[in-house]
Amino acid sequence: MRGPNPLTTARTLASIKARNESAWLLPVSSPDVTERMRRYEDDDEVDLVIVGCGAGGSTVAQRLAREGWSVVVLEAGPFWEPERDWVSDEAGSHHLYWTEPRVIDGEDPVPLGSNNSGRGVGGSMVHFAGYAPRLHPSDFHTDTLDGVGADWPLDYEDLRPYYEDMEEELPVAGQDWPWGEPHSYPHSPHPVGGNGEVFLRGAENCGIEARVGPVAIANGRFGHRRHCIYRGFCLQGCKVDAKASPLITHVPDAIVHGAEIRANSTATRIEVDERTGLATGVHFVHGGVERFQRARNVAVAAYSIETPRLLLNSSSQRFPNGLCNDFDFVGRYLMVQGAPQTGGRFEDEVRMYKAPPPEVSTEQFYETDPSKPYKRGFSIQTVSPLPITWAEHIAAQGHWGRDLRRRMSDFVHWACLGALCEFLPLPENRVTLDSEKDRRGMPVAHVTYSRGGNDKRLMKAAQETMEQILHAAGASEVMTIQRYAHLVGGARMAADEEHGVVDADCRTFAVPNLFITDGSVFPTQGSANPALTIMALAARTAARLAAGARQGVRRPTEAFTLQKES
Amino acid sequence: MTLPLPEDDGGGRFPGLRTLELRDHWDEATSSLILSRVGRPPDVCFFNAEEEGIAAAMLDQLVGQEGEPRVPLVNVVDARLAAGETDGWRYADLPEDGEVWRRSVRFIDEDARERYGVGFADATAAQQEAVLEAVHRTEGQWHGMPAGHVWNLWLRYACTAFYAHPWAWDEIGFPGPAYPRGYSNLGVGRREHFEVRDAHPGEQA
Ligand SMILES: Cc1cc2nc3c(=O)[nH]c(=O)nc-3n(C[C@H](O)[C@H](O)[C@H](O)COP(=O)(O)OP(=O)(O)OC[C@H]3O[C@@H](n4cnc5c(N)ncnc54)[C@H](O)[C@@H]3O)c2cc1C
Ligand code: SF4
Repeated sequence: MRGPNPLTTARTLASIKARNESAWLLPVSSPDVTERMRRYEDDDEVDLVIVGCGAGGSTVAQRLAREGWSVVVLEAGPFWEPERDWVSDEAGSHHLYWTEPRVIDGEDPVPLGSNNSGRGVGGSMVHFAGYAPRLHPSDFHTDTLDGVGADWPLDYEDLRPYYEDMEEELPVAGQDWPWGEPHSYPHSPHPVGGNGEVFLRGAENCGIEARVGPVAIANGRFGHRRHCIYRGFCLQGCKVDAKASPLITHVPDAIVHGAEIRANSTATRIEVDERTGLATGVHFVHGGVERFQRARNVAVAAYSIETPRLLLNSSSQRFPNGLCNDFDFVGRYLMVQGAPQTGGRFEDEVRMYKAPPPEVSTEQFYETDPSKPYKRGFSIQTVSPLPITWAEHIAAQGHWGRDLRRRMSDFVHWACLGALCEFLPLPENRVTLDSEKDRRGMPVAHVTYSRGGNDKRLMKAAQETMEQILHAAGASEVMTIQRYAHLVGGARMAADEEHGVVDADCRTFAVPNLFITDGSVFPTQGSANPALTIMALAARTAARLAAGARQGVRRPTEAFTLQKES
Repeated sequence: MTLPLPEDDGGGRFPGLRTLELRDHWDEATSSLILSRVGRPPDVCFFNAEEEGIAAAMLDQLVGQEGEPRVPLVNVVDARLAAGETDGWRYADLPEDGEVWRRSVRFIDEDARERYGVGFADATAAQQEAVLEAVHRTEGQWHGMPAGHVWNLWLRYACTAFYAHPWAWDEIGFPGPAYPRGYSNLGVGRREHFEVRDAHPGEQA
């Protein structure tokens, strides 16, 4: 464990830089980065082609490019230029989200798009709030410990060093963390705004422990990144480069180490050689033209919906029900976290739009409490909806017309907390292919979701606790809306092929040179936000690949290693 | 410009807040986007003329707009539908958004004719409100579509169009874009010099 905050000494900075120089290469648009980017031919058999340049994909690209692998990342969305493409505005940030058609179904259909998935280089983290908590050690054994969910084929200890690395690279700011495995953060906590203040006061008044952080927003000197200006638009993409996203934390280093980030390139099918049983590359569409990138290894990191969709769409004679789907696991055990949000009204002005929405959290209710009528738990965090999102909250309470306007005029008096409830993995919650097709002729994802009894009880308990905190802080009125957040699962990790799609190294059981390196592999989700774990897991997979620890992996040839400019 | 809103409905709480006057402090990309919202509204091209009239009246009712000036909601929603700019999902029991809107304006007009003998666009404000409230209260199907899901879609489009407009921000005390200036006075009860104190803080929501 590291020492007290802040400990970003010159020595630590040097060691981060030696591992990942991204923060010192910014801005991404500088000619030194983008213009020098290497380009591969479709016919080059690269060491690794990665689908998706988000949390998982970018991390693997950066790690393996550094190891001398030739890497091409296919990214469906654009290569963002923050100053040109992003705005300090809610409605104007619509293009950051994955807005291609998807169909939602089930007893509790989960709205997608702006609610949970992004596009473009950097993936969903471009508009993620910025919370970067770790999972707890118990999360890896919920079946053994609590008789629910599933055990992971790896332990917390396997991920710990990668958590520590990622917390330095993003970097993460926060108070010393007492929950899960206690740890501290490389950057000290940020000052809080009105919403964080309300949470801290309410929690203290009712004996609940709350802490500032953990947020992936640099606090202090970090490469060329500027300091947070507390403008509150984190969910619209941080134009300041204060909040982490792979676009600034991993992509620059990947590029200078020879990776090609091929934007506006949508993968449509993974090709597998029926004779050898190995993946040979990826079909993709770029500018309306179908192309094929040859590769010795393939990693899919296209997000929990698009990853299963791509596998299901890659059926063949050998895999009639979709790639890696011999045991009917692809698309199943998809999970969202129950994310009710509770607002509280204060006579004083809270102005929750100031400061980053992620400020303060508590994980006091994270673990199973035997005295409660449910297993596992929830966390509570500040969330600070901007006007449009807040209007949707008010509308969800049944208000409209003049009544909506009147309630909206009260915006500056409200504080808002959000919970993350650990919903359990259920096989019926799944991604399938719809009969509707997208503009490329590929069937769109059909996402079915229904909550179980434990899920509903958790959501109720989380709501009661948030209401209690806000009342204790002095709220005169509270209101709650039911929401969901953070999709993971859909290609779960397991001990063997009869229980999942990939092994502990994220390698698919069915195709030895095919990997899945995004949130799809989570067997359970805890009540932590997923991005840090996705990155830590991807970094671990990359380290295992680089070490050539697994038989069957097709290692880079010397010729490719020598070609590298760097 | 100030949108007409009686004090009883929350009007006049932030006297003097003119978000647009802060535009010198906005970055170029944001500034040109926000200014386009107060410029000439996009021409209507998704809805036909009759649909436009019904949709305009309906959207105004959904966010309580009466009288000038007003946010040109129908133009904004029409532009979104013409561009196919959805939220990235649709309910399995509804067709795609544009089709839902077309059907909605037709059915809402039918409802008005059935109840009051006049089309929705020509009905009185009170009649329009009653027609919409009936849909809001419907549990189950409305003209073959699940009423709750349809209502949710209407409100999402209406709220996004309305609360993206700087005049609506003036009404709720939100100072709009905040880059590159940012905020320096954080905390309960603290304001920047350009933020305006609520003149009626005791108003319960
Ligand atoms: C509003 C919001 C707030 C959030 N807040 C937090 C938070 O505070 N903390 C947290 O930990 N998490 C948060 N998340 C979730 C987090 O951002 C995601 O869980 C995480 O980024 C997922 O990583 P991933 O690698 O699985 O996918 P992504 O990061 O989404 O990357 C997938 C990439 O693949 C691309 N892609 C998809 N299909 C294809 C294809 N066929 N071909 C080529 N490319 C393709 C996509 O364009 C995308 O760029 C938030 C999400 C949202 C939407
Ligand atoms: S609040 Fe800070 S981290 Fe968030 S968008 Fe603004 S500058 Fe970036």
